[in-house]
Amino acid sequence: MTVLREYAAGVAQPTLDGSVGPASGPRYDEVVGPDGALRPGWKALAETAVGATGRDLQRVADEIARALEDDGVTYTRPGERAGRWRLDPVPLVLDAAQWAPLEVGLAQRAELLNAVLADLYGPRRLLAERVVPAAAVLGHPGYLRVVARASATDPRPLVLAATDLGRDHRGEWRVLADRAQAPSGLGYAMENRRVVSRVQPELYRQAVPHRMAPFVSALRSALLQSAPGDLADPRVVVLSPGHHSETAYDQAALASALGFPLVQGSDLVVRDGWLQMRVPGRLERVDVVLRRVDAAWADPLELRGESRLGVAGLTEAVRRGRVRVVNGLGAGALENPALLAYLPAVCEALLGEPLRLPSVATWWCGEPGGLEHVLDRLDALAVRRLDGPAVDLSGLRRETLVERLLAEPHKYVGQERLALSQSPAWEAGAAVARPLTLRAFTLRYGSAYRPLAGGLASTVEDGVSVGSRDVWVLKAEPRDPDQGIVDVLPMTAGPSRAGTGALPRVLEDLWWVGRYAERAEDLLRLVLAAHALAEDFRDRPRTTGATVLEVLLGAVSRLAGPGPLAEGDLDAEFRSVLLDPHRAGSVAHALDGLRGAANGVRDQLSLDVWRALGGADRAAEVLRGSGHSHQVAESAVRMLTGTLALQGVTANMVRDPGWHMIGVGRHLERSLQVCHLLAATTTVRRGIDVDREVLSAVLAAAESAVTHRRRYRGSVRPGGVLELLLTDRDNPRSTAFALDRVAEHLAALPASTGSSRPERLAEDLRADVAAVDVAGLVAIGGESRPHLVRFLAETTDRLTRLAEAVAEVHLTSGPAPQPLGALAPPGPDLEAVAP
Amino acid sequence: MRYRVRHTTTYTYDAPVTDSIGQAHLVPRSLPWQSVASYAVTVAPRPGDVTHDLDHLGNHVTYFQVTEPHDTLVVEGAGEVEVTAPVLPPDALATPWEDLRPLRDPARPGAWAATDLALPSPLVDHDPGVTAYAAASLVPGRPVGEVVTDLAHRVHADLDYDKTATTVTSTVVDTFARRAGVCQDFAHLVLAGLRAHGLAARYVSGYLATEPPPGQPRLVGADASHAWVEVWLGDDTWLAVDPTNDTVVGDRHVTVAWGRDYGDVPPLKGVIVTEARRSTLEVAVDVAPVGPWTGAA
Repeated sequence: MTVLREYAAGVAQPTLDGSVGPASGPRYDEVVGPDGALRPGWKALAETAVGATGRDLQRVADEIARALEDDGVTYTRPGERAGRWRLDPVPLVLDAAQWAPLEVGLAQRAELLNAVLADLYGPRRLLAERVVPAAAVLGHPGYLRVVARASATDPRPLVLAATDLGRDHRGEWRVLADRAQAPSGLGYAMENRRVVSRVQPELYRQAVPHRMAPFVSALRSALLQSAPGDLADPRVVVLSPGHHSETAYDQAALASALGFPLVQGSDLVVRDGWLQMRVPGRLERVDVVLRRVDAAWADPLELRGESRLGVAGLTEAVRRGRVRVVNGLGAGALENPALLAYLPAVCEALLGEPLRLPSVATWWCGEPGGLEHVLDRLDALAVRRLDGPAVDLSGLRRETLVERLLAEPHKYVGQERLALSQSPAWEAGAAVARPLTLRAFTLRYGSAYRPLAGGLASTVEDGVSVGSRDVWVLKAEPRDPDQGIVDVLPMTAGPSRAGTGALPRVLEDLWWVGRYAERAEDLLRLVLAAHALAEDFRDRPRTTGATVLEVLLGAVSRLAGPGPLAEGDLDAEFRSVLLDPHRAGSVAHALDGLRGAANGVRDQLSLDVWRALGGADRAAEVLRGSGHSHQVAESAVRMLTGTLALQGVTANMVRDPGWHMIGVGRHLERSLQVCHLLAATTTVRRGIDVDREVLSAVLAAAESAVTHRRRYRGSVRPGGVLELLLTDRDNPRSTAFALDRVAEHLAALPASTGSSRPERLAEDLRADVAAVDVAGLVAIGGESRPHLVRFLAETTDRLTRLAEAVAEVHLTSGPAPQPLGALAPPGPDLEAVAP
Repeated sequence: MRYRVRHTTTYTYDAPVTDSIGQAHLVPRSLPWQSVASYAVTVAPRPGDVTHDLDHLGNHVTYFQVTEPHDTLVVEGAGEVEVTAPVLPPDALATPWEDLRPLRDPARPGAWAATDLALPSPLVDHDPGVTAYAAASLVPGRPVGEVVTDLAHRVHADLDYDKTATTVTSTVVDTFARRAGVCQDFAHLVLAGLRAHGLAARYVSGYLATEPPPGQPRLVGADASHAWVEVWLGDDTWLAVDPTNDTVVGDRHVTVAWGRDYGDVPPLKGVIVTEARRSTLEVAVDVAPVGPWTGAA
């Protein structure tokens, strides 16, 4: 039997134990009707969908997981490392007839919410006439008093609204929450569509859902039109809190799709009341900000003073109408759950019409009637705070909850718990009925609000999203225009002006992309060389090979830092070096750093970067799951392939300052790594046989064995190895070669003058390395080579100073802003009080 | 009484500041009992950008940005103000306090506008200890005037005036635990006590003219910026009381700005960009009666 038939049979069958609770009661099924027949939207897909077997679906699920990994799609839960984005193969399908009333309801709601904002930050009629209790609005932290000035009016504070919806057991849509602060999810929705349409092309073609592209174009055009005044060529940026943000992927993906630069607070500055971007050497005006930073963090002058994510003076620039922030800074007031209780009355008051799309039943406890109702039905309702995270507090001890409600009733709402509709989710080889919610998006385009025909659906477990789904809104007629939009301008290339490629923060991220990529690569090569020796000699102590292995392991811990594990457990050490992200210096640490840096500049990089990293991730995953020693080498090789693929990606980048900065980082790191490797292996004499084997391993780790064999005909001596790895300007693995590239790339950076400090330091280093007398370096003094020791230590020092100089000249945008009065008072104990 | 007011804040840094962006609440409000003449805020070095506006509560607010590198930043508010003692409508003080709770009685005229000041605010949050402490003044049926003066009197008696006890970011809980603070803390504690029982009350930032001891000249700069509270009496009527001095506010108080707590109306706040690691802050406030001092309060 096929999966869908089996699922339909299961849904139509009454449950055996007959258990029906408030949350587990009969749900509306998105795919199958109560009679066991498919819903209209799915009927159109029956031919393909019904035939799908478990094996087909598993294949699709696997391909989806792989595609998401290849695209580097992540979602970060607060306080955790970035996790993978999950997408279920089964979309939420809505036919045109089901969609039409929802579309009208969403458009009305956005229009209403915009009017609510205009009133709450303007005349406040809703409060004065007590349509909404003042305390219900003012007790919510999203209400920003700093923009409630007579001097500042934003006629269109709501440009992009998101609405979280669920269906009740009758199949009626209810709004669960409004998201207006900085709605996330469009980037994920676009990616979901890309992946699902690619791995299930037949189904997708048969369904003919509305494509998303015209909506994105419309958003782009709406943002351009949001610019204050009548600008021919407005500058729009997407303001992100940075790559540690929960939805960093979503922000970057949306910025890329829109063709607007992704910036962070440190890239911007307010000067003379205008918002400006710090392009090196000058400031460039910004006219529109698509804001993904919560308003509370957007301006350390007037909002949270400790914020590093915002721009001091932004609120003032907004009030003066010199920049338009989308959505308006005050839009967070709409996320207030207490508003839901009053929206029908608000709609009558502001629009003079009934509210079309009902919200989930909500009672604000600040009103005596509301409190009474909530206390009476405490077991059946979800209880939320107005000013806290959106969690259901009804799990608290009853007495505790009642006490809190009575103490500060105006801070709480009670909400009906909806028996959400269900849809099959693919879990562990079977289609299981799971509740879902839908996030819809509505855009102000021209003079009206237009909902996206589509959205982002979530599979929900215990109130938490555990996976996402694509949303297919089917066309009534295949010839209907996508999104019903016919007049949108196609996406054209942005206006010709400097991009963000040269922002100091962007250059910094790219510098670390270069450094971490090289660090991972060099360490992987060294691990492979050491592991090969380990396979042969780990059980043969006191042999030449065992001594060589010891030397190589010393080099590993010099590069990767000492391992936390017991000595002698070689496998554990290799695994730690490859997999432990908490070991500063490990491959995993370098790859995490690389991913973080790349995420900060996602809009500058090809998607191939993520495919390459995905390959490395999969190899690491396999190693985590396997106990075999040989898997260490296999995974390390494949991780190496991943990092090498990055080289290919950067080779195809445009030769802009960012590309040169990757080059500076990569080659500077390579010079450093060569010095560390040589210092750990070649400075001590251990006997002719051991030394020869050590040198051979070093050549392997430095990928120069083949060149060496050709050039020196198999005779492995310290002098030859040092020549090849230090001074040979034609060997890409040598310090001399790397320094040549550092100098070239440096010269191409915008802040370079020909005589800047990094250029001087690089030039001196280059000259000294080129002039070094290798014969002198290998000279012996007792057990060691003192000249070589000194030379490597000095060179390492000078390279570190060069790195610092690069950071100082090219990467910093100056000291971070800080609150007036935050500096220490004069006194002798500065070190003690400084952070 | 007419006063010449000068409030000067000077920051001195050990290295240049390249960008100072600030906001000041330094210009007194125009009120039925207070008129403001020839008032100005000056910033040195001269800012490239200055604006004057009214915030959402009608306070004067000055925004400025200095991008000329500077080791010293001086912000000064100066001008002349004429103050008379506020006059309250008859019987306003006699209302039982229970009738003046905006959240309980939102239909009362003016209640919606006073609501924001009956809710907890960032520096004045609810605290069970403070609520219990204030309860002794909030006897059922007591006229609001008595409630407020009694609570102010108790706070004055129970708190030590101690400049070292708290900072500008201290909360009511800190103040109450130490039983000590400065005028700002006295005000916050009264606000917390009244709001906990449903009354609406606002934080007032301003100046107090200090009378010199007889026979001595007045000391310039001896005064500081001051803070007190105003309590809602219905409509748009407010009772101003100064817990630090255990007195009702009269013609020696110059009202600059009001808000939910200190955080809404600090005289000066800002963000700077600098390599400096140390700074010195000097604040001088001078509220001098214009013309010969009559000695009359």
